[in-house]
Amino acid sequence: MAHTRQLCRQLVLRSSVLITFLLWATAISGHEMTPAYPVVKPSHVADVVKVEMSLFNSREEIEYYQIELFDLNWMNIPFSTTYRIIKIGYKERKSFNVYIRKRDMDEAVYLCTTSKVRKTNQSRTLVSSKICSRLDGEPA
Amino acid sequence: MKYSIAILSFIAFPALANVEITGSVEAKCVIQTTKAGVYGNPIASKLSTTPADGGVLPIIRYDVSIADSYTANITHPTAFSSSPTLSDTLAWTGSTSVTQTSVAGMSAYEAAKILVNNTTIFDLTLAGSTWFSTASSAVYGSAKALPGGTYTAVVQATCIAK
Repeated sequence: MAHTRQLCRQLVLRSSVLITFLLWATAISGHEMTPAYPVVKPSHVADVVKVEMSLFNSREEIEYYQIELFDLNWMNIPFSTTYRIIKIGYKERKSFNVYIRKRDMDEAVYLCTTSKVRKTNQSRTLVSSKICSRLDGEPA
Repeated sequence: MKYSIAILSFIAFPALANVEITGSVEAKCVIQTTKAGVYGNPIASKLSTTPADGGVLPIIRYDVSIADSYTANITHPTAFSSSPTLSDTLAWTGSTSVTQTSVAGMSAYEAAKILVNNTTIFDLTLAGSTWFSTASSAVYGSAKALPGGTYTAVVQATCIAK
């Protein structure tokens, strides 16, 4: 009898831990972009290179992310991609390619995605998240 | 019959081959909004996210998988992204602080933070999770009452690969 009680207690404890973890996991919302140091590859177009990126959206309130490319001083660098503002559903992962001219690669440093926040009807602060990868390689 | 079974079991042997699971750990940063901020209105001319003023501080969590790969740059607002029409200037103040860490050594981030204009820069030298809160306050010019309506401001949370 005592053994059964102990088993029941353990089961309840484990279930509550699992439920707590699931609640924590579902409550969190995040923005993730990889890789941090992307590999620059040749593209099918002459004198243009490509970078393959992956974006994961677990921010329920966010649907759109903007892709930007900057130099070391945060000045915009021209690039091409399918959509500069991409729509990503909640808990969805999307891969995208960024095409950059070879002659711009000496200056291109930061490849960033920024969440686009929606207008609300509450007096509040919104959080816009921005993640930047580096095209000039890992620090030595 | 015995020979057939022996031959069949020999043929079937490759089915027991091990299946590999491969994985890699790479530098990765995840920005998570743990709590959205809310402006309180303690006096007619002021909006503030400070709990003492009836507001709620926005909490942002940064998860980094590899140490010393990213910096966290958090910019507190200096303008409303949407508000009723305002005829006077606003005096903005703000700050960002470390509120919680997953590794004890991360508590040093607070002392080492750098403030550039309205952006606070934290060097994420350890792998793990760090929670930041951003306080924001706006006071309407000459202590005038703020017009009724909805006020929204944006906190920019950036994670930059080093």
